[in-house]
Amino acid sequence: MRRRRHLTAALVVIAALTAVPVAIAATTTISMSGATSSFPLIELLASKYSKLKNNSVRFKIAQGGASVGIADAAAGRVSIGNSSRAPQTGDPSGLYFYPIAKYFVCIVTNSSNTLSNLTAPQAQQIFTGKVRNWSQVPGATATGSIDVYSRTSVAGVLTTFQNTLLGNSKVGSFATQEPSEGLMQNAVKKDASGIGFLSDYFALAKGLNAVGYAGTGCSVANVVSGTYPGVSDFYEVTKGPASGQNQAFIYWIQSSATAKKIIESNWIPLGKIQPVVKSH
Amino acid sequence: MVVFVTARAAPLFSSQGLSWLGSGGDVDTQIGAMANGATHVQVHLWPLIYGSLLTTALAIVLALAISLLTAIFIVDLAPARVRSLMLPVIRLLASVPSVIYGLIGILVLVPFVGNDLISAGQKESVINVIQLTGAGLLVSVVILTVMVTPIITALTVEALASVPRSWHEGAVALGLNPVRATITVSLRAIRPAIVAATALAAARALGEAIVIDMVSGGKSFSPNPADGLIFIYEPLRTMASTIIDQGENLSVPAVRSTVYALALLLMVSGLVLSLASRLIRRSFRRYELSS
Repeated sequence: MRRRRHLTAALVVIAALTAVPVAIAATTTISMSGATSSFPLIELLASKYSKLKNNSVRFKIAQGGASVGIADAAAGRVSIGNSSRAPQTGDPSGLYFYPIAKYFVCIVTNSSNTLSNLTAPQAQQIFTGKVRNWSQVPGATATGSIDVYSRTSVAGVLTTFQNTLLGNSKVGSFATQEPSEGLMQNAVKKDASGIGFLSDYFALAKGLNAVGYAGTGCSVANVVSGTYPGVSDFYEVTKGPASGQNQAFIYWIQSSATAKKIIESNWIPLGKIQPVVKSH
Repeated sequence: MVVFVTARAAPLFSSQGLSWLGSGGDVDTQIGAMANGATHVQVHLWPLIYGSLLTTALAIVLALAISLLTAIFIVDLAPARVRSLMLPVIRLLASVPSVIYGLIGILVLVPFVGNDLISAGQKESVINVIQLTGAGLLVSVVILTVMVTPIITALTVEALASVPRSWHEGAVALGLNPVRATITVSLRAIRPAIVAATALAAARALGEAIVIDMVSGGKSFSPNPADGLIFIYEPLRTMASTIIDQGENLSVPAVRSTVYALALLLMVSGLVLSLASRLIRRSFRRYELSS
C-alpha cells in the first residue's frame, strides 16, 4: 500500500515538473530596457497588452536611459529598446526605430518658485551657466544662486531638451546630473532654488512648477496646436525589422484604439503612423 | 576575471599610457564627449580616484572611532539587558541593503543639508564652478560611515570576547580601571582583528556604487580642503559610481575601455587592501592570541 502511495506521489511530481516547462514555453516574455521618460507609458501599454493576450505574452521592463535601451537592443540583451530620442551618429547600425507616441519636455522649477515663462535666450543663459542668480531672472520668486539640474549623457530627454529648447547648445558642465526622470523630479521638488527639465508625465506632477517657453505654456493643448516647440517622439527600437511577438506588440501600439486611449491619457498620439527610422 | 577586465581596459593603456591616472580637465566633459562619438579624447581620471580615496578614508576614520568606542561600551560598560539588545541590532544594521541608505540619503539628508546647512553665501562663493545642492562629500561620508560602522563594531565585539579574561583581570588587579584595561590590554591584543575588520569595511566602502551615485552630487570634482567649510559640501564622483553611471555607454569602445580601467583599479585596490592588512597583521604577530 505504501509502495503504491510512493509511486503515485512520484508520478504526480514528474507530471508537475514536465508541465512547468510546457507552461513556460506557452508564454513569451518580451524583455525591454531604456528610457525612464517612456517607462510609465510602456508599463501601461504592456500590462494592457498582457491582459488582452490572456497573459500568454509577458513583459520584463528595465530602465537605464534611452542610450541604454538602444545599446541593449543592438547587443541582443533585450527584445525591444525604449528610446525617447531619434537615432544619432554613434548609435549602433542596423536598428529600427518605430515611433509610438509624442511627448514634450517642460522646464520645471520648485513649486515655491512661480516663474511663469522663460524666453529662449533666458533659458539658454540659465542652463549654459551665463546667468547664475535668480535675481537676474525676471518673474522668478526664488532667491540666491540657481541650482541647475540636468540628466546624464545617456538620457534621450536631454537630447530633446538641448535640441528643441536650448537651440542646440549643451547644458553647462557645472550642472548636477541626475540619472533618471524620477531622481530629477525628486531633486527639483526638494530644492527651492532648483531648475531642471522633465518629460511631461513627470513635469506636470504635483509639487513642481512647469515653466512656459517663449510665451507658450507647457501643456498638451499647446503641443497639439503646434505652438510649443519642445516635442519629440518615443520610439521602440529593435535590431533589424521587428518580427514575431515584438512586431505584434509594436503594431498593436501603433494601430489599436485601446493603445491610443492609453497614450492620450498623458501623452500625445501620433497623427498618423509615421515611417520607421533606421540608424546608420 | 583579471584577464577579462585587463583585456578590455587595454585600449586605454595603449592610447594614453598611464596619463589617464592623472588629473587635467573635467572628467564629465571628457567621458561625455567619448560617449557622443568624439575620437582621440584624452581622459584624466584622478578626480574619480581621489573621490573614492577621500570618501573611503574619511568614512573609515569616523567609523573606527565610533565602532571601537561602541565595542568597549558593549563589552565593559553596558548592562546585560542593553548588551543583549544592542548586539542583534548592530548585526541587523550590517545586513541592511545599501540602497535603503541611498533612499534615506536623497529623501532626508540631502534636502536637509542643502536647505538648512548650506548658506546662500557659501553657494555664491563657488557659483561659477560647481553647485552646492546638499549632495556631496558630507552626505556621502555620513552614509558610508553608517554602513560600515556595524561591520567593524560586530567584529570588534566578537574579537574582544575572545581575549582571555585573565589578561583583563590581571590588568585590573594591577590597578587599572576596567575601561583603561580594555583599551590598553584587550584592544591591543586584538589589533590584527581590528585591521582585518577595517580592511573589510574599506572594501565595502570602496565598492559602494549605487548609494554614492545617488548622494554624491552628480558632478565630477575634487573637493579641496583649502576651501574651508565648503569642502564638506562639495560634490564628487567615485570610481564605483562612475562605473554605474557609464555602464550603459559600454557600446562606445572608448567609454568601455575607460570603465574597465576603473574596474581594474578597483580590483587592484581590493588586492592592495588585502595585502596591506596581511602585512600589518604580521607586524602584530607577537601579540597574537594562541589558539
